[in-house]
Amino acid sequence: MRWLALLISGPMLWAFLFSLIYALHGWACAGGSGPEGLDGGARMLLIGVWVLGLIAFIPLLRLAPSGQERHQRLPRMAVWIGLAATIVTLFPVTVITSC
Amino acid sequence: MTRPALALCALCLLAACDGPLSTLQPSGPIATEIAWLWWAMLAGAALITVFVLGLLAMGFGAPRKTQARVWTHGLGLWFSMAILGSVLGAGLWVGERILPRDDGAVTVQAHAFQWGWEFTHEDANGAAMRSTDLLHIPAGQPVDVLITSEDVIHSFWVPQLAGKMDAIPGRTNRARLKADTPGIYDGICAEFCGVGHAHMRFTVQAHADWPPDLSDEGTEQQEGAP
Amino acid sequence: MTDIPTPAAASARADSVHVAPAPAQRALALHRDLTRVWRNDRGLWGQITAVNHTTLGLRFMGTALVFFAIGGILSMLIRAQLATHQGAFLDTALYNQIFTMHGSIMMFLFAIPMLEGLGIWLLPKLLGTRDMAFPRLTALGYWCYLFGGLIMLTALLFGVAPHDGWFMYTPLSDATHSPGINADVWLLGVTFVEISAVAAAVEITVTILRQRAPGMKLTEMPLFAWYMLGTSAMMLVGFPPLIAGSVLLELERAFGWPFFDPTRGGDPLLWQHLFWLFGHPEVYIIFLPAAGVMSMIIPVMCRTTILGYGAIVAAILALVFLSFGLWVHHMFTVGIPHMALAFFSAASVLVAVPTAVQVFAWIGTMWKGHPQLHLPMYHICGFFLTFVMGGLTGVMLAIVPFNWQAHDTAFVTAHLHYVLIGGFVFPMMAAATYWLPLITGKARIRGVGEAAFWVILLGFHGTFFIMHLTGLMGMPRRIDVYPDNPEWVWLNLTSSIFSFVLTIGFAMFVLDLILQATLGQRTRRDPWDAPTLDWAMPVPSPSYNFASLPISRHLGQSARDAVLSLARGEGALAGAARGRRELLVTSVGVARPHHVAILPGNTALPLYLSASIGVFVLMMLAGQYRLAALALVPVGALIWVWARGMAPAGDLRAVEVAPNLNLPVHHCAQHSLARTGLAAVLVADGTLFVSLLFGVAFLSVVTPATPPPAAGADTVTSLVGLGVIGIALVLAALVGRLNTRSAAALGLGANLLALAALLWLAFSQMDDPTAHARDALRAAVAGYVGLHMLVAAAMAAFVLDQFRRGEITPQTQGALGAWQMWQHFTTAVALLAALVLIAQVGVS
Ligand code: HEM
Ligand SMILES: [Cu+2]
Repeated sequence: MRWLALLISGPMLWAFLFSLIYALHGWACAGGSGPEGLDGGARMLLIGVWVLGLIAFIPLLRLAPSGQERHQRLPRMAVWIGLAATIVTLFPVTVITSC
Repeated sequence: MTRPALALCALCLLAACDGPLSTLQPSGPIATEIAWLWWAMLAGAALITVFVLGLLAMGFGAPRKTQARVWTHGLGLWFSMAILGSVLGAGLWVGERILPRDDGAVTVQAHAFQWGWEFTHEDANGAAMRSTDLLHIPAGQPVDVLITSEDVIHSFWVPQLAGKMDAIPGRTNRARLKADTPGIYDGICAEFCGVGHAHMRFTVQAHADWPPDLSDEGTEQQEGAP
Repeated sequence: MTDIPTPAAASARADSVHVAPAPAQRALALHRDLTRVWRNDRGLWGQITAVNHTTLGLRFMGTALVFFAIGGILSMLIRAQLATHQGAFLDTALYNQIFTMHGSIMMFLFAIPMLEGLGIWLLPKLLGTRDMAFPRLTALGYWCYLFGGLIMLTALLFGVAPHDGWFMYTPLSDATHSPGINADVWLLGVTFVEISAVAAAVEITVTILRQRAPGMKLTEMPLFAWYMLGTSAMMLVGFPPLIAGSVLLELERAFGWPFFDPTRGGDPLLWQHLFWLFGHPEVYIIFLPAAGVMSMIIPVMCRTTILGYGAIVAAILALVFLSFGLWVHHMFTVGIPHMALAFFSAASVLVAVPTAVQVFAWIGTMWKGHPQLHLPMYHICGFFLTFVMGGLTGVMLAIVPFNWQAHDTAFVTAHLHYVLIGGFVFPMMAAATYWLPLITGKARIRGVGEAAFWVILLGFHGTFFIMHLTGLMGMPRRIDVYPDNPEWVWLNLTSSIFSFVLTIGFAMFVLDLILQATLGQRTRRDPWDAPTLDWAMPVPSPSYNFASLPISRHLGQSARDAVLSLARGEGALAGAARGRRELLVTSVGVARPHHVAILPGNTALPLYLSASIGVFVLMMLAGQYRLAALALVPVGALIWVWARGMAPAGDLRAVEVAPNLNLPVHHCAQHSLARTGLAAVLVADGTLFVSLLFGVAFLSVVTPATPPPAAGADTVTSLVGLGVIGIALVLAALVGRLNTRSAAALGLGANLLALAALLWLAFSQMDDPTAHARDALRAAVAGYVGLHMLVAAAMAAFVLDQFRRGEITPQTQGALGAWQMWQHFTTAVALLAALVLIAQVGVS
């Protein structure tokens, strides 16, 4: 059970960040920003949460077991999956028109 | 740039791709960019299909020495990431370019109902001109269509000019169109909306002069300025 | 072998995953004993009372096949109508019913039950156990599926079938725009069927985690089990949003609670979010088991082992999670800001990576081994050809600008059939041809199957390939005529002609199955020379699967080597000496033997329970809401009877599982299967609650504001009421630990008090739920919490009754643990709901 919890921690963190940033974005845009997008403050907030989220992966990476056995490698791969997903799915906060 | 592009398209296309609702016969820069995106993705997809099926065919035969990482990481991870990354980038780039912006584009209204469309534009005096199932827009410049619905969800789609945008009760959506040349373009409701769905068609007329002089057409009714 | 067993040695053994082999016995005697205990009752009644996983798994799959045929016939009607541009074959209203039913049948009554059936039938065999964790639940799921499906079919026969498309968008599906019961048939029928999906998900999760053969580590179990674990986890989290959405929409239709009505503060987009929050994971729920089949069959067909086991498990994990981050790609045209679209576009593109990892791992496996062109391999090639193309068009659709053009056109119809038929139907055909000898004990007749494959392949691509072009040329989906578009005519005609070829192919495929089952020659055991336990048994598989349960030493062997030893009783728990259905429960990680579970025998209770739920559904459909409420009484009573069946009874002594290994029976064990099962139920239940909270948040933040009528609630009174509820529930959660009769009584009282306070609040303070969506959602959340309090009270009463009967002793816990878990959950959701309510009031 502990091992399973470790296995899903990385992807869970991605799921959390993804929902959080999507929700924050919806909330910020609902606040009446025009079609051109968020003002600097709100965008900085989104970027800030994203960067903090990326940093939060560091302790997870450290927590993951080392070694080449399958039960050691899998949790490690899982953290990388979460990290890669966070980078790829949320990078739009930096460049894409927001509202 | 769109003229040569169109010529090129016509060259490489079968006549089969033409039609008044064809996304592959674009008549404006927005639809053209998306059509290009499609042709590029089609070429890539065809190559990848051939590649994968080739690997599959070569798999039949005597056992070979294989390295798991080459397959799972090399091909599965890096090869696919490289391709997908570039497709995503291209898609977002095109998306950013065709987005409606606050640039003072002409605005017209499209109000959907079961089963038809009511369109509104302003005439030279700022009075609202209404028309049913016929939308007037200027040619050669971007137009924003503000889309609303009376009852259920519909979708406003003029394939030769741009992608579709849903008409959702309680909301106003904005879609950007641009027609290169004056002319008539076909539109259709793309979201299933009940028994009249298949007949919920409309026409877009792009005018060289704007606001257009519709005095001789008689189908319009003019209303007081809002 | 010679050491004398001492109690100390025995307990030391219990800690180890290595179970000693038992001495061999006479295989025939074991077989007779086990058959007597495990077989179904005789005759038709025996089919009604059956709870056995082999029987029910096959029945699930057989019924799904029938629904596939019906859905297929409907698709023929669609294609006949579209063959010409002025098709006068069906009128529009009927056409709308037909395509809606085609989609709904294929998704809810064919694909999902088919994969459930495959899991239920195969998993116990593959994992080395004798049945699923909760056999009665398997049967309940089957009956709910059957009755729900029959309700929908009956509606089709009477011309009142759903007609709003398989995703039932509101407002089209609301009471104003779809009067009549058509939409209710969908909402109630599908929700009825989903009981079976949630039941199967719970069972499959528990079976995989707790019933693997001793020593079969999680990280070494057959890949199919990993895939099914991912599938069932996704079902636990994926179905609740749909159930929540369906319940809300039904409430709106029946009682006018305006969750989705924009004129009263609701939002049609909330339905879309809830639907696709389910709907996208759904397609991965369908794909994962099929991919699991691929991962099992390819290595056997190639006489090698799978390449990249670890990478595949990682890919499954990635798919399970990522597929919950894509749902908005079905909503790219609803007017969501570009940045949000970009998140979901990126996630949709990214999800192709784990898929690619698997595809390349399978092809690598073929390179590594020596592929042999048996019939399953044909279908596997069909899978590759079709699914790769479907996956690539999927990536195209994930690209926002292209999606704006292709969305809701025939291009999407083509794409979805490439992935569903390529990614599910072809693998299922491979599975059928691979496992049929185990089902029938017969060998294949050469020829028909191969011919069927080629006809299907030709028919499929002939139908759907050009449909991409039809879509790009502007043909929307879900239209029945296209008088003004001669350029679509030849495309549609071609599709229609080939679709009949496709149908002939499917008919040939079924013919092949029937021929094999009836005329085939007896096959030998393990005809494929497979390495997995599913083949380490006689063919056709006996009701009990294994005469003795596989232990570590059987796991390393091929099926052929293990089969005799298992039949002779050299594994664990040989025979049925105690005359009851027993299996071994192991620990989650390394599968250390933990205790012995005693399973219930044949019973008609599942039929009664699902029939009484069916009465409730029918009453709802008929609009008889009072009678419907009344119909819940027998449902509750039968659930009580069901639970009584789980009470400790009979011989509770420890069981000798293997030499020197005595394990307690589950009544006396700490972490029973039921406990794991309840945890899984609570995951699903919690997701349901989160879906409701999502609704609250969505309506308060994203929906364009429609001001609600002035609130009638008095703040102080409401806070006092909430306070009473909170204190009572916290008390109930605390006393559960005390483990005494009076604590149970106190718990019952506290829950009833909380319930009374909630009812009082609802009737004195709550605003009219029909006035505004905000109030409707509050009422829905209150109803959810109230229902949980009611169940908690019933469970406390049940525990009290068990104390009275003397069933709760220091050794046996009875339902105490279950009540505690439920109570904690109830208290937690109630407090959370109160917080959200207070926050919402505070903000506005
Ligand atoms: C037997 C071969 C099949 C044929 C010839 C076929 C044909 C069609 C056609 C023509 C449509 C489009 C109707 C329209 O929107 O204009 C359709 C829709 C659909 N099909 Fe199939 N289909 C087949 C099998 C399947 C299977 C196996 C599945 C799923 C496992 C499936 C799932 C769907 C779904 C979900 C829709 C969408 C329904 C809707 O728009 O509400 N189909 N099918
Ligand atoms: Cu419409």
